[in-house]
Amino acid sequence: MMKTMNRNAVMGLGAMLLASTAQAEEDTLYLFNWTEYMDPAIIDAFEEKYDVEVVQNYFNSLPEMFSKLNAGGTSQYDVIVPSNYYIPRLIETGLVQELDHDKLENMDNLMEEFQDPDYDPGNQYSAPYQWGTTGIIYNTETFPEAPKSWSLLFDESVNPEHPFALMGDGQVSMGAACAYLGHGYDCTDMEAWREAAQLLLDTKNRDTFSGFVDGTPALQELARGVSHIGLSYNGDYLFFKDEDPETFETIDFMLPEEGAEMWVDAMMIPSEAPNPDLAHKFIDFILDAEVGAQLSNYNYYASPNEAAKPHLDEILTEPPVQPSDDDMDNLRFTPSLEGEALDTFQQLWSEVKSR
Amino acid sequence: MRKRTLQRSLTGFWWLTLFFLYVPLLVVVVFSFNAANSAASFTGVSLRWYRRLLGNEQILSAFANSMILAIVSSIVALVIGCLIGYGMYRHRHRKLGWLIALIYLPIVLPDIVFGISEMAFFVQINRLTGVLGPGLLTMIISHVTFQIPFVALIVYSRFVGLDPTLFEAAKDLYATPWQRARFFMLPTIKPALISAFFLSFTLSIDDFVISFFTAGPESATLPIYIWGAIKKGVSPEINAIATLMIGAVAIAAVLSLMFNRQGRR
Amino acid sequence: MAYSGVLPSARSQAMVAEARHLLMTVAPGAIWIFVFLVLPSFYLMGVAFMTNGTYGLPEMPLSLESFKRLAGFGFLGWSPGNLYTLLRSLWQTVVSTGLVVLIAYPIAYYITTCREKWRPIMLLLVVVPSWTNQVIRTFGWMNLLAPGTPLAELGQLVGLVPENMGLYPSNFAVTLGLVYNFLPFMVLPLYAAFEKLDHAQVQAAQDLYASPVRAFWHAVFPQTLPGLLAGTVLVAIPAFGMYVIPELLGGGKGMMLGNLVANQFSGGSNWPLGAAGAILMLIATFVGLYAMRRIGKRLGGGEEVVI
Repeated sequence: MMKTMNRNAVMGLGAMLLASTAQAEEDTLYLFNWTEYMDPAIIDAFEEKYDVEVVQNYFNSLPEMFSKLNAGGTSQYDVIVPSNYYIPRLIETGLVQELDHDKLENMDNLMEEFQDPDYDPGNQYSAPYQWGTTGIIYNTETFPEAPKSWSLLFDESVNPEHPFALMGDGQVSMGAACAYLGHGYDCTDMEAWREAAQLLLDTKNRDTFSGFVDGTPALQELARGVSHIGLSYNGDYLFFKDEDPETFETIDFMLPEEGAEMWVDAMMIPSEAPNPDLAHKFIDFILDAEVGAQLSNYNYYASPNEAAKPHLDEILTEPPVQPSDDDMDNLRFTPSLEGEALDTFQQLWSEVKSR
Repeated sequence: MRKRTLQRSLTGFWWLTLFFLYVPLLVVVVFSFNAANSAASFTGVSLRWYRRLLGNEQILSAFANSMILAIVSSIVALVIGCLIGYGMYRHRHRKLGWLIALIYLPIVLPDIVFGISEMAFFVQINRLTGVLGPGLLTMIISHVTFQIPFVALIVYSRFVGLDPTLFEAAKDLYATPWQRARFFMLPTIKPALISAFFLSFTLSIDDFVISFFTAGPESATLPIYIWGAIKKGVSPEINAIATLMIGAVAIAAVLSLMFNRQGRR
Repeated sequence: MAYSGVLPSARSQAMVAEARHLLMTVAPGAIWIFVFLVLPSFYLMGVAFMTNGTYGLPEMPLSLESFKRLAGFGFLGWSPGNLYTLLRSLWQTVVSTGLVVLIAYPIAYYITTCREKWRPIMLLLVVVPSWTNQVIRTFGWMNLLAPGTPLAELGQLVGLVPENMGLYPSNFAVTLGLVYNFLPFMVLPLYAAFEKLDHAQVQAAQDLYASPVRAFWHAVFPQTLPGLLAGTVLVAIPAFGMYVIPELLGGGKGMMLGNLVANQFSGGSNWPLGAAGAILMLIATFVGLYAMRRIGKRLGGGEEVVI
């Protein structure tokens, strides 16, 4: 009795193993996306429309996403959603494939400023997903009169005794330090970088520094009182606030005057995606006017989709989703680095982290 | 007199250490029932974090992956490790230094070196041949690799502990090697096989680093899921998942104790 | 004549059969470990000698660049970041192993003084926490050390951390996590050593030496040394390469060698550098093992010492 049971168990397991390898067939779409960035209802709708299954995987930072692709991920995901400054390096390393615009009828729905972006001229490889900003989140009880400035993070006299976090993605933290020092958020100058790295190092070594934290977890930390200042994204902030209004009553989002980040996340197809056909269908589905609006309404990020505009909730047309004109002037893209500049940056950043 | 104070302070120290060992786990369990999203204050008993877990497909599949990985790898490691253990015993008079070194390698290699070696290797194989993409299969292979030595050593030491004349007796009793294996060896080393399987299973469940580096998109295990959840932002839901795992371990502990008792009788 | 001709061939036949037996039992496992661990390790070592491509992947030609980088020489000049990381790893390993010994030694002894019936249960109680995954155990400490918890407030009171802060992330939290994680690994071998303790020797020493300290030092300590060394290997090697605990409890402050290596792969920055770091870890591991063996032999332990 026992023996037959064992044998059945083994065979069952064997079958499951086979099944799990065989499943990577035509009817599954593998989506590799940021956390808290997709409306489950959209996934359901897509699954129903094309009678397929969507398997979602998540990343918290772009370096994490990039390393997964490097480690064999190019043949495991159908759609990835990187940000603007990683797009050129994904193209250059051959980790992604060109989009077939014939299969993307809804590409014309995009706003004019997203039709031909600098990071990917003509959207040859990418289709914009959402755009947003990265700013400071802080506890308004602790800092009732917080300056609209990076000094909240970098000036010890402004915040002498409360825990704060910096961004885990080095380029954003570095940009913030650059902006505070007056070199502008998008600095790439060697001297400016060195100065910024030194500032980050000094800041990190303050007693009240509580760690390098990615954007979404930073909000959780503030909610739990683990830190009082951090860096996060406008849409995630609103999303969390909507989920837990009580806690987020005393947490605010702010774009420093010295300049901050604006970003675009775009959908791309890895070079050896198991199912590029379905990937194109998915991208086109997201670019649909109503689906695009549904997505923005769900995750509180601004839509690059012109046709979606009539369907958008009111909150999406005002700050912080749609930054004020003044803020808009101060927003910059994070520079896309390559070659020696990337190498230099990585050395500086690893110095900051390890010292 | 002095001896008694020593004994008494040792008893105190023992309870203190137990407290130290169990407090982190207790906190996880207690706060999984916390009504508020806070690590500092307990505002009331609630099942809201457990309710959120229900119907979370990812957790269910992570649990299934953990189990498949642990069971399949333990079975494979048991077969291979058992053979080596026996071979090492039968041929213990030969110079098998190279084999010993080979077997100890997985034990002494730091996890992280183990994990990235496997990852880099599998990536390269995958690039060249298209097989062995990161997933459950690569994880099973890696786990078997670190389980084999433990199985081999347990089985080997069981054989060493046996009376050598038993083997002679078995030779007279059973004609073919297969019969000998079936009716003599397997029954005699059964306790060793059971504890080797348990150890392999525990090692697999306890591993995070090696799994983390060899996992693919659909093969996340429970620890990998929890790691991702912590990275995504500490939330009370993690307490709830972790509590389920702690509960499973507690049950296993009680079972192993009962098993142990029975074995002694 | 005929007789003497048969014997060698029978013997050689038996030898062939023996060799085949050896091959059949040992080969599957040996090949498995060779293919899936030795080859990958050599491949990784090869990667360390390759050039870092623009985006972090290894490329030809061969170079020693990643070792130079590991030693701190970038084209920005020398910088001490990696050295800090290495020293921090060594320091954490030494401190946490020392603390583990200090806690485990009396505990292991205490268990042997208890009634035999209770011992398996007591050992089980020590080991059970390590059956849960290390991620979960570390997560437990994240809960305990967060700001506002009693422990953090105690820390503030004592002046260990500034007001409003938690006890993590910090180097202190990493040490605590390491001690917690590895305690059972030390208790088990020490317990085995204490259980085998020759009490006649201890009695003789007590008669011989006036102070209990000297009696302990001359009679008890040497006997527990094999267990102590085995425990030290089991604790120090994994502690030196620890990745999970510094990552979760160290924040940006407690980076260890394991994180430096892992980040080169999981942060997508530099595979050859990561591989070079892995080689450094391997060397440290083998040097440590060798040293333990030597110490064990010199202090009178037999072959059983360590491994």
